[in-house]
Amino acid sequence: MELSQRQPPSDAFDALFRDAASDVYAYAMTLLRDRAAAEDVTAAAFERAYRRRDSFDPRRGSRRAWLFGIARHAALDELRRRRRTASLVTEPPDDAAHDPEDDAALRRTAVRAALAGLDARERELVALKFYAGLDNAEIARVLGISASNAGTRIHRALCRLREACHAS
Amino acid sequence: MHPDDPLDPRELAVLTADLETVRPTPDPVFLAGLERRLQDGFPEADRARRAARAWRRLLLPAAGTALAAVVVALVVVLGGGSGRTDRSGSVASAPALAQDETAAPSSPGGAASSGAAVAPAPTPAPSTTTGQPRRVERSASLTLTPEPADVQQTADGVVRATQDAGGYVQRSQVATGDGGGTATFTLRVPSARLAEAVAALSRLAPVAATSQDATDITAATASAATLLADARAERQALLRALGRATTDRQIAALKARLADNRATIARRAAALDALRRRADLATVNVLVEGREGAAGGTHGGGWTPGDALHDAGTILQTAGGVALVGLAGLAPLAVLAALIALAARTARRRRREAALDEFRLDATRN
Repeated sequence: MELSQRQPPSDAFDALFRDAASDVYAYAMTLLRDRAAAEDVTAAAFERAYRRRDSFDPRRGSRRAWLFGIARHAALDELRRRRRTASLVTEPPDDAAHDPEDDAALRRTAVRAALAGLDARERELVALKFYAGLDNAEIARVLGISASNAGTRIHRALCRLREACHAS
Repeated sequence: MHPDDPLDPRELAVLTADLETVRPTPDPVFLAGLERRLQDGFPEADRARRAARAWRRLLLPAAGTALAAVVVALVVVLGGGSGRTDRSGSVASAPALAQDETAAPSSPGGAASSGAAVAPAPTPAPSTTTGQPRRVERSASLTLTPEPADVQQTADGVVRATQDAGGYVQRSQVATGDGGGTATFTLRVPSARLAEAVAALSRLAPVAATSQDATDITAATASAATLLADARAERQALLRALGRATTDRQIAALKARLADNRATIARRAAALDALRRRADLATVNVLVEGREGAAGGTHGGGWTPGDALHDAGTILQTAGGVALVGLAGLAPLAVLAALIALAARTARRRRREAALDEFRLDATRN
């Protein structure tokens, strides 16, 4: 959902927060696989975006893509920061003790495992595509690559994910 | 199944649905807290911005001051080093000469010569450390550039100004014709009224160039005075010896020496007088040269709007030149700063991307 450019900046930012906060968290969590780190990144992303809200230029892309660009930088900065202190410890799946007869739970476990099997760049692409809801051009802008390159990478990541799901 | 195999829409829909089932959801408490911070306007972020603004407020005046200092230094260096003479500078020379009367000496016994532009000449102090009055030989030269038709009138003015200052024309040469003319004068005016005379001369026509010299001749004068005193003392001694002489031969020899001594005294007295005259009368060399359009700017009357326009143009021209030089100096710095910023940005981006690659390795180990 794109915000109207006629809204005052504060209202537009509030709307952006309500619209994208969960998605930013989902992106960060998928990339970092650490709840605390994902929360830190989400908070840092909105704080930075709020600080730079006047610098948003609608001609250079949607507000949502702009936010995820900031979120990505925050995530990578968090990675660097934690690398200097301690390695991230990936969290166990929420429903590890699932019912073996529950197909849906089994499928969720398989998808999680498949997602965890991807490398960070592939997980990031999946998260930007499905959780952030960005199109290929917006993903390309966030990653600083060409749109065709982004499309190719997304396709490969999805194929690997599908393969991993089937293997699970 | 190869990774490059295309996904059919059905598979993609299933994958999308599967991913949606495992979408991480944030803790509502965390989201509520973050929203509160947003509603408060991220006060910690505002504090950081205020701190940054405070730094900018401190840094900007400092940077401005530094820039101004650079510009002033450039003006001083360029203004002092160019050695060019412009009309407005020459006009200001008359008051400058007048101020020389009270200026302090720079180097006793030495001669100082200024260039064409305004330059205060060294004026020795009124007395030496030994109590003898200081003797200074002074001279000045001016180039006046009236309109060609006004050369004769200006030449007449030179003579009048000299007489008004109590001086006289030692030498003059005036050549006028249809196309203008030139006149040269060597004037002698009392040293005490040199500034007054130069100021009066400067009002006759635009001054294209001025210069002045001041030479300390105290030592030479003192030496001449001593020699004269010695000669006079010798005369007294010879006269006393003549009074005591008893033989014709002694008397004749003393008279011959007295004759020589008289000649010596006359010669030395003349030398001393010449030195004193050099100190008492300054020499002013004036060149009057007819020049087309020269009188348009600063001819000795009032300061007209035309003069103001001319001066404004000169100031703007100079300011523009200084700004251009300043920019030329700053441009390489700006390019360097831009390159450093670009390199820093690239390095930061690479470090971030490297963090992602290294995380993959960590995650693999985990």
